[in-house]
Amino acid sequence: MKPVNIGIDLGTTNSLLAKFENNNVRIFKNPVGQKETLASVVAFRKDRTLIGDKAREYLTKDPVNVFGGFKRKMGTDEKYYVVNLDENVTPVELSTLVLKELKTFLGPDESPEACVITIPASFDSMQSNATLKAGLNAGFKNVFLLQEPIAASLAFFNSTAEAKEKRDGYWLVYDFGGGTFDVALVNSTQNELKVVDHEGNNFLGGMDFDFAIINSILIPAIIAETRIENFEEELRVKYGKYEMLYYQLMYYAEEAKKELSQSPATVIEFCAVLDNKNYDFYIPINREAVDALFMPMVQETIKLLESIMQRNELSKKDINQIVLVGGTTYLPLVREQLVLQTGMPVDYSIDPTSSIATGAAWYASNKYYEHTAIATNPVNEQHAKDILSQVDFDPLELQVNISYNRSSRDTEEVLLIACSGDYENKYYRVTRTDGGFDTGFINLKAKKTEFLLLLPAIANSFSFAVYDDAKNEIVKLRKEIAILQGIYNIDGQPLPQDISIELDDPENKTTRLEVVFERNSLLPQKRTLYREISKTIKKGTDESIIINILEGERNSRPSSNLTIGCIEISGKDLKVDLVKGSDIEVQIEITESRTLNTNVFLVMTQQEFKHVFSVSEKQVNIPRLREQYLQLEHELVENIQEFQYNEHEIWEIRAAAFLEELQSFKNTLFKLKDHDLSDEKYIIAEKMMRISQEVDKLGGNERIATLIESYLNRKETVRAAIGAADFEKENLLQRYQKIEQSESSFMRSRNASVVENKLKQLNDLYWSALSNTTSFLIGKFIEFKGYNARDYNDHAMALSIMKMADAALENERYPEFRRQVFNLSNLLVRTNFHHNKEFKGTGIG
Amino acid sequence: MNNLHILNQLYEIELKIAGLGKAEGFERNFRRLYSIFEEEGLFIQNPTNEPYSDSRTDCDASIIGEPSTAMKITKTIKPIIYLKAGDKVQLVQKAVVFVEKI
Repeated sequence: MKPVNIGIDLGTTNSLLAKFENNNVRIFKNPVGQKETLASVVAFRKDRTLIGDKAREYLTKDPVNVFGGFKRKMGTDEKYYVVNLDENVTPVELSTLVLKELKTFLGPDESPEACVITIPASFDSMQSNATLKAGLNAGFKNVFLLQEPIAASLAFFNSTAEAKEKRDGYWLVYDFGGGTFDVALVNSTQNELKVVDHEGNNFLGGMDFDFAIINSILIPAIIAETRIENFEEELRVKYGKYEMLYYQLMYYAEEAKKELSQSPATVIEFCAVLDNKNYDFYIPINREAVDALFMPMVQETIKLLESIMQRNELSKKDINQIVLVGGTTYLPLVREQLVLQTGMPVDYSIDPTSSIATGAAWYASNKYYEHTAIATNPVNEQHAKDILSQVDFDPLELQVNISYNRSSRDTEEVLLIACSGDYENKYYRVTRTDGGFDTGFINLKAKKTEFLLLLPAIANSFSFAVYDDAKNEIVKLRKEIAILQGIYNIDGQPLPQDISIELDDPENKTTRLEVVFERNSLLPQKRTLYREISKTIKKGTDESIIINILEGERNSRPSSNLTIGCIEISGKDLKVDLVKGSDIEVQIEITESRTLNTNVFLVMTQQEFKHVFSVSEKQVNIPRLREQYLQLEHELVENIQEFQYNEHEIWEIRAAAFLEELQSFKNTLFKLKDHDLSDEKYIIAEKMMRISQEVDKLGGNERIATLIESYLNRKETVRAAIGAADFEKENLLQRYQKIEQSESSFMRSRNASVVENKLKQLNDLYWSALSNTTSFLIGKFIEFKGYNARDYNDHAMALSIMKMADAALENERYPEFRRQVFNLSNLLVRTNFHHNKEFKGTGIG
Repeated sequence: MNNLHILNQLYEIELKIAGLGKAEGFERNFRRLYSIFEEEGLFIQNPTNEPYSDSRTDCDASIIGEPSTAMKITKTIKPIIYLKAGDKVQLVQKAVVFVEKI
């Protein structure tokens, strides 16, 4: 026996599917369009069958082929004649299609055998049996029915522990949906939950409220502004000149209704062209005004509720609570009036739109069915061959072949479908997995073409499925389709390397690369980056910002990349001072012929700098090159020290050789004038890039493995240090998370320098955490106090700070104490405690 | 959810400014604003003037006049919004559009 677990609210207007899993109920979303609700509408278009929201679009336009509201006709012998099919369909067949569509919400890998379907309390045996039949036709082997008010009560009882305890007694389920109203009296005892009585109005719902807003507020406001004669009559003419406006008003009225559920007033604002004249409508609406319009309709529902109470001779004291169901119960007026006029407690705790499906799933979790076991005995290879040799392949067996381009530069791509065998009365359907495209069910033919709508610049994945005449999927014929949009096929080309921009990393006093276009992106490419200026540049000075665009491996250091575009904007180019923190926009475009176009816009000075670079020309900025040189030199010196310490002699020898080679052109580089025109800078840049790339590989996999191990160990200590910090905890945690987030990317880089750099960042963070920990600061302070006068730049000042720090410590003013210890550290002649090295960078953060 | 509300408001403001014939002066600011959302993975798409078929489940359409096999989107009062996370793309808001026979 297996629990059913699936609950379905097969509604008049909308349907939902819920499933009990992991001790809770989950409402499933439609993979097409990502909505929880599915419109209970079926459209038989000329060449395809649509189910759900798309079908609803044609409900008023094509009523002879599109059907909704068929739930009301369940159990009757009424048939709908479909003009496009030239045949009749029954309400059961239409409900079957809706149920099958709901099953797709669970995804292609799940095919449930049993479900609970809810029915209105008013359904008689014929109607109930018709629902049961629809469930069985939809492929469920076991179908259980549950009355909607019971489902809603179950959802409420399971919503809180308190509700579960108080369940005995009478409950009123007040169900006010989009098109119908129902109220049911439910009696709950320890052993039983049953509907005692019910009332309803099949033509009263939330849509009537929208029409009230249109008729009483919007139309009079439009007439007052436009003075158009016969406007109201014209607006209601089918295919009339104001048809678009009519649909617009329906949308705005519904939006206003929702807004007024949250706030006391709103404004409907829209532009429209009426009789060749432009109008800008601004229509304020307040809750008081709409409440007056809605009141008679709410009153009607309360009258029905009271009639149940009278009929069953119950007073308000006999009712535990009114449980609200249906989207219209979101309206504050409904809630207020229920409380005011009935005097009964009203519960708003459950989601009124999904409560019936939720309750059905709770019920399903306790309902069991006989599971059809699937043979799982393994078949050995010989046995499989024997079976196959006895099988005659049926020449009529359906074969479906599809073909398409795997990449496209168009917004649509053609899918060719070729069938052989028995394809009569079979269907296919193509859906895009993001939910933005669905063909609906289309008849298979020997040859068909379908245009697939593509999203730009991504891999679009589609699912192609084939169905039998009852619209059950033939699973073995399912195919997945992937089409890359914007991808080069003949006349473009993919990027061989990442294209990055060099940005400052002031925390670590270095620069880093940020990828602009990833390797293998297809040309042309265009992107705008928005960043901040990280240092103030005074007008007329030689200070500058540098926009350095590089090609290479994005995870390596900038000097390992080739600079393909470099723009220097100095103080002499500026109209006014460029202040730190102001915005810079850098638009980068690479054409199919690999020309690099940049457009830099300084928001503060409102200046634009356009450059076109040919990628065949090298771009070198000498001051930036010098800084990169120093960084590489510093890194190599540190590497040599580390290799010495860890006794990696071979690595040490190689690193020393690189350092020697690097230093061989140091003098030349530092003697070069900033705007030197000779080729020298290119030669040096080339040499540096080669050395930098070699440094990245130093020590090979062995070094990478050691560094990753150190990194992982260090993470533990850093986490502990942050946990113990007394100040700046959030900031430290953010820095930690930033490093952690980049983990998978830098570990994948297989580049020792990159991992080493991350390890250094962790180490810096560790020291930052310590310097924000009072106990560590006290230790440091004691250490500083023990230093000699010659260890300080200004000993008298140091003594005075020590005195203030002592006083702060004694009075437990720890933030002040911390500040004084920092001040003291800044007075030390040489200190590793507080880094303060000169860093120029690119000027862009 | 809040981001979607802001994006919808932005779209509305942009339309309004375009209606006043002043779109040019604000183009850069809108590009910038949309790029902030793109960094969060939210991508907006205005389908106005694109062809319409009933396969377009990225739009909730009201059909103006007679339905036809050749229709186009003539007005968009709410744009399409996609959420990109890694390689995955998901529709998070359908457009609200009006479509007419071409």
